[in-house]
Amino acid sequence: MIWHITKRELYDNLISLRFALTTVLLFVLMLINAVIHIQEHPERMQKYHDATTASVNTLRSRTDLFSIAQQGPGNLYKKPSPLYFCAEGGDIFLTNYVYGIPTVQISDNLRAFWSVYYPGAFPNVFNVRPDTVKVDWGFVIGYVLSLITILFTFDSISGERERGTLRLMLSNSVPRHTILIGKFLGALVSISVPFTFAILMNLSIISVSSDVHLGADAWIRLIIIFIIAILYLCLFIALGLLVSSSVQNSVTSLVILLLTWCVFVIFIPSTFASIASGFSSPMTYDEYFKRRHQNIEELKEEYVALLQETRGFPNKKIQIDSEYVTKGTEQEERLSQEQLTQQIDQIQLARSVTRISPVTLFQHLLEGFVGTGFERHQHFLENVQRYTHEYREFVTDMDRADPNSLHIIGVREGMSQKPVDPESIPTFEDKLSLSHDFNVAAIDLFLLILFFVVLVSGTYLRFISVEV
Amino acid sequence: MLLTLIRRELLDNLMTFRFVATVVIMLLLVVANIPVLINDYDQRLEGYNAAVNANHERMQERTTYSSVSISWDVVRPPNLLSIFNVGLDKRLSNEIFVFYGYVPTLWDGQVHGSTNPLLNLFSSIDIVFVFEVVLSLMALIFAYDALAGERERGTLRLVLTHPVSRAKILLAKYISAMMCLLVPLLMSFLLVVILLTTSPIVSLKVDDFLRIGGIVLSSIAYLSIFYLIGLLISVITRRTSTALMLAMFVWGFLVLVYPNVILVLITSAESSQERLVPAFNQIEQIWEEFDRERKDYLANDPIPGEDSHLGVAGGSGFDEIWHKAKSTLLYTYLAISYVNKLDDEFEPRVPHVQNYYRTIVPKTIDAAERAWLVRKQALESVFFRPAIVDRIFLRFSPVGMYDASTQAWAGTDLFGLRDFYEATRKYRRTLIDYLYDKNAFGDRKWFSSDKGAVDWDSSPQFSFQRSDVHVSAKRALPDLLLMLMMNLILFWGIFLVFQRSEV
Repeated sequence: MIWHITKRELYDNLISLRFALTTVLLFVLMLINAVIHIQEHPERMQKYHDATTASVNTLRSRTDLFSIAQQGPGNLYKKPSPLYFCAEGGDIFLTNYVYGIPTVQISDNLRAFWSVYYPGAFPNVFNVRPDTVKVDWGFVIGYVLSLITILFTFDSISGERERGTLRLMLSNSVPRHTILIGKFLGALVSISVPFTFAILMNLSIISVSSDVHLGADAWIRLIIIFIIAILYLCLFIALGLLVSSSVQNSVTSLVILLLTWCVFVIFIPSTFASIASGFSSPMTYDEYFKRRHQNIEELKEEYVALLQETRGFPNKKIQIDSEYVTKGTEQEERLSQEQLTQQIDQIQLARSVTRISPVTLFQHLLEGFVGTGFERHQHFLENVQRYTHEYREFVTDMDRADPNSLHIIGVREGMSQKPVDPESIPTFEDKLSLSHDFNVAAIDLFLLILFFVVLVSGTYLRFISVEV
Repeated sequence: MLLTLIRRELLDNLMTFRFVATVVIMLLLVVANIPVLINDYDQRLEGYNAAVNANHERMQERTTYSSVSISWDVVRPPNLLSIFNVGLDKRLSNEIFVFYGYVPTLWDGQVHGSTNPLLNLFSSIDIVFVFEVVLSLMALIFAYDALAGERERGTLRLVLTHPVSRAKILLAKYISAMMCLLVPLLMSFLLVVILLTTSPIVSLKVDDFLRIGGIVLSSIAYLSIFYLIGLLISVITRRTSTALMLAMFVWGFLVLVYPNVILVLITSAESSQERLVPAFNQIEQIWEEFDRERKDYLANDPIPGEDSHLGVAGGSGFDEIWHKAKSTLLYTYLAISYVNKLDDEFEPRVPHVQNYYRTIVPKTIDAAERAWLVRKQALESVFFRPAIVDRIFLRFSPVGMYDASTQAWAGTDLFGLRDFYEATRKYRRTLIDYLYDKNAFGDRKWFSSDKGAVDWDSSPQFSFQRSDVHVSAKRALPDLLLMLMMNLILFWGIFLVFQRSEV
């Protein structure tokens, strides 16, 4: 019986205007998406490749341990995701690199070691073109398809009630939940058919192009994304059915649904984010530079004073130099870390608050599995920190391995003088891992499923008890 | 008869659920967003004040003319009406360095360090955006069954049996629906104004009220366009359900899809960087010529070597920078000297150095002006014109027209922001004139403060006022007229179709 109802729904939908419009719209959007990706992606990869090669080459050109320890690895780059077309994730507002260079001058001939600095991205400062949302899957599914889903479901029960066919159907010995499931499946199938075909077309264009290479990992991610997209659709179908079954006429149902859609999809993400980000005020750049300047000045003074005291003991000087190099580096790193943490906390809070909107949840999930956006950025920063640690370990180990060294890190004379094999220097490679992404996505996935379950049970209870 | 029709329509509309729901949602959205927007404005204002103070402090530390001349950082105040339509106000650079050696443009500014750049991840919202989405939706929901519904119910036939012209019916529908739709619109504007005036942070002036009036006008025109689109759909379709579907898809297309898709489609693949190369070479030539002249001067004067820093202490207290940026065609030469104490042995060199600067600085200014002529054209054609073309394409959707006209009213459009950069250029001119008046280039204080520091308190101060309301009106008017024209065309079209349609 479920199948019977589903089939009827499907036939109804297939010849309807909305089905035709949906199909056209989805195909056009997905086509644009694919074409743009094919155009842009090779350039993006080339840029990344050139930049990393350049910084690896400078790193490898250094042969003595001291300059390796002092100059650091240079810029570290974030690897662009091959699935960029699924979700752009605001990547242009997140820098795709961090600096790893020495910045603190303690005295005329003493320099602190390199430390990581996180630059901010202001990509639009010179951009006079109008604002747009990137046409990625996130936009097509999150906004366009959710609206379409509402248009498919708003009248599925209230319409039948208006026409009186609901009463007719219930006069047969069909349990109500069967009708509900049939309706649900009918809507799901009729939306996901054009959607699936549009996605397949999109993917076939992208995978046929020789410039873009999708590996096995990417395909697994795409399948996960597809499942999440279907879940997201189900959420809106359930919402549609809920409203449709609790309201007497279909216009009212549509008005409620559209307003709910507007509020949850369009307004809540930005409004709530603005409200939540107003709660904290992270360290501004002005403050940061002021404190940094102050720190360095203090360090310089201390250093000079200490040097005065120990004048005449050249051995002592090496010790002090080494100590201050370490201090300067640590201090610099701590400060930039502090600023970064404060900035990230502000964003985290705003992101958590906006999770009340399903589109945000969906976008978080999409970004998470695609490998763009904020969570990915944090993963990149974690990778950077791990690498920083590894790099410094490497310097200490190399120094320790040399019996002729004084093991005073920070000063040229105190460190190993043996030439270093350039191949052995660790290089930074930004990696993505699916299991990590799963862990990060767990909460969003859980919330999305929770919303879905609540809506479905709400619909069920509502429809069971409603009068026809 | 017209009045009877209007009254009937009005009652019909006012009693509906959709009317109540839209009013409530509109007011809720406005109430939720206004405090956030005011708070945001307040923070930006704070950032502005902090930046102004920081620049002031930096200025205090400078002691010579040449070092003061690099501290003239100019800050752009946030626009209060960005609450209505933020436009480019939050995005473009808000601090710019004014210096005699180059002509400042939009592409030389920077963002003063007061925000968290990661916050850009969240899209910002403004009042016009709320209207853009909700008003248009509401108008379509009101319109889709206006004629199709009556036709379905058969009441249209009934009405037409009376001696009443079809034009009148149409007019009655239009007037009554617009009256209904104006209620939430005006109520929300009233609410916004009340919330703004009661807030201690902002103070609205007459000028602001005029601009808000303009925004209201644009909103009404926008609302009417969407109502008429809905009516057109209603008149050409036989059934309400078809009309509704069509209306919703049209809405989704015009509001959601078209503005985002069109720009992607018209972006040319040609990279802007390549188009800047010839201009950059030309500018480079101008500055190389300048450098040659400078070197010739140095070679021919009686003192060997570089003059600019008197040869004091290996050049400490002196900076010389060639600043080049290919991507924005920036090219300039900075020489800053700030000698605090002069040993007697260098004293005989002072007149030479004075002569040197007296000759070289005007030459720098001259080179900058010549480079500007090239740069202006190149930037205009590579960056500015495409942005204008983009906006023309956006206007194919009513959303684009509405956005453009409200931005113009608020002064946050591209031209409004260009006024600021225009003002910085004027300011640079005044400063140069001031320096000429003081005969600063040939002054000892240009490079050395050993005989007293410069008094720069008397130097002209920068202030930027948003352009007059009539200038804004002139910028907003084309779009407003376009919207009115579209209204008329739509109405005419509906009329023609309705005249001929069978009932």
